[in-house]
Amino acid sequence: MNVPLNIDWQQILLHLFNFVILAGGLYFLLYKPVRDFMDKRTAYYQSLDADTQKKLEEARKLEEAYQSRMADAEKEIREQKARVLREAEAKAEAVLEEAGKQKEQLMSDAVVAARREKERIVEDARVEIAELAVAAAAKILQDNALKAAAGANDKEARHG
Amino acid sequence: MNSKTKKIALAAWIALLGVLLASSLAVGTGAQKHESIKETMRDAVLHESNQISLFGLKEVNPALISAMAVTLAVLLFAAVVRIAVIPRFKMVPGRFQLLLEQLVGFFNGLAKSNSPHRNGFLGAYIFGAGVYIFIGTLFELFGVQAVTTEGHSIALPAPLSDINGAIALGCLSYLIILSGGIAGNGFRGIGSTLKDFSLPISMSFRLFGALLSGLLVTELVYYYIHLSFVLPVAVGVMFTLLHALIQTYVLTMLTALFYGEVSEPHENTRKKADA
Repeated sequence: MNVPLNIDWQQILLHLFNFVILAGGLYFLLYKPVRDFMDKRTAYYQSLDADTQKKLEEARKLEEAYQSRMADAEKEIREQKARVLREAEAKAEAVLEEAGKQKEQLMSDAVVAARREKERIVEDARVEIAELAVAAAAKILQDNALKAAAGANDKEARHG
Repeated sequence: MNSKTKKIALAAWIALLGVLLASSLAVGTGAQKHESIKETMRDAVLHESNQISLFGLKEVNPALISAMAVTLAVLLFAAVVRIAVIPRFKMVPGRFQLLLEQLVGFFNGLAKSNSPHRNGFLGAYIFGAGVYIFIGTLFELFGVQAVTTEGHSIALPAPLSDINGAIALGCLSYLIILSGGIAGNGFRGIGSTLKDFSLPISMSFRLFGALLSGLLVTELVYYYIHLSFVLPVAVGVMFTLLHALIQTYVLTMLTALFYGEVSEPHENTRKKADA
């Protein structure tokens, strides 16, 4: 039978045989090894990526834990600060109260001391005044006595 | 190189071209051809003459010898690459490694994108077919000489410019698609593949027509010595390169597309698989 275009079934099969050898050879020599290498590299980078993601997740959790602990610490610090402030205020109040009491005591003591001093000074002045009055009276008496003596002398001289 | 030297070199080159052209025209026209252009063109299509002996067993079309030569060369190259290059692959690829990875990645990606459900075998097949069509088409550029049974010297053509080679690859691609249909959907897959009964013919003749047209144009151009200057650069190299790229892409893409279509699990198959 004359096949159009001189198609030869035997040559078609030979072409097929040839191509199957080529395709099989290329698969084992090039396609599979290169694809395996690419797959291995992809798996390697994917594992790296997964590790990185895992570490990132761990870091994120750690950060959250630290942030929570920081928040707790800040809260504790605030509470302690408030407590210390309250204690300090109480202490300051006590000190102020004590100081007030001391001040009142000092004031009352000072008033008493001042009154005593005043009384002492007044007493001293009174004594001094009395002494001065006595001295002045004595002086006057002395002067009068001297004047009287002088007058008598004069009289005697004139009579003399 | 200064401009004066450049001008001198250019003038010398043009003069040399002129001398070669003139001498070719003077000598070439005297030569006798063993067949007319009509016979050459007819033989390119029908291969009635200019057959080559296959190891003394059978007279075959020159394209079969081309196919075997391509297979031998590609497998030798692949073996060298497998032994010398692939074991030295690095995580950060060099130029050649990148080229190989791109090549494999392209066909692997084509298989995966067109047939997401089943693509392991498809990727390997379209890689082989793609390399065969591309290298086979470029093979005619080298003008490897062979002696016909009649004692004439001819340049070996592209393997797929022979109708037998094109039919072989077209039908094999169809069988691969059919196997994908059976593997994916059983008898339903056979049905959906047989629905596209014209596929092997269209695939075969698309390849044959595209490559034969290139061959005919090249034969025509090279037949006349007057057309053998400058023109072959465009006709021979550019057409061949374009053919190689386009036909590689078309056949592999079509095969992957149809394979993906027929191997895609139907609702019933999916439900059965889920159950």
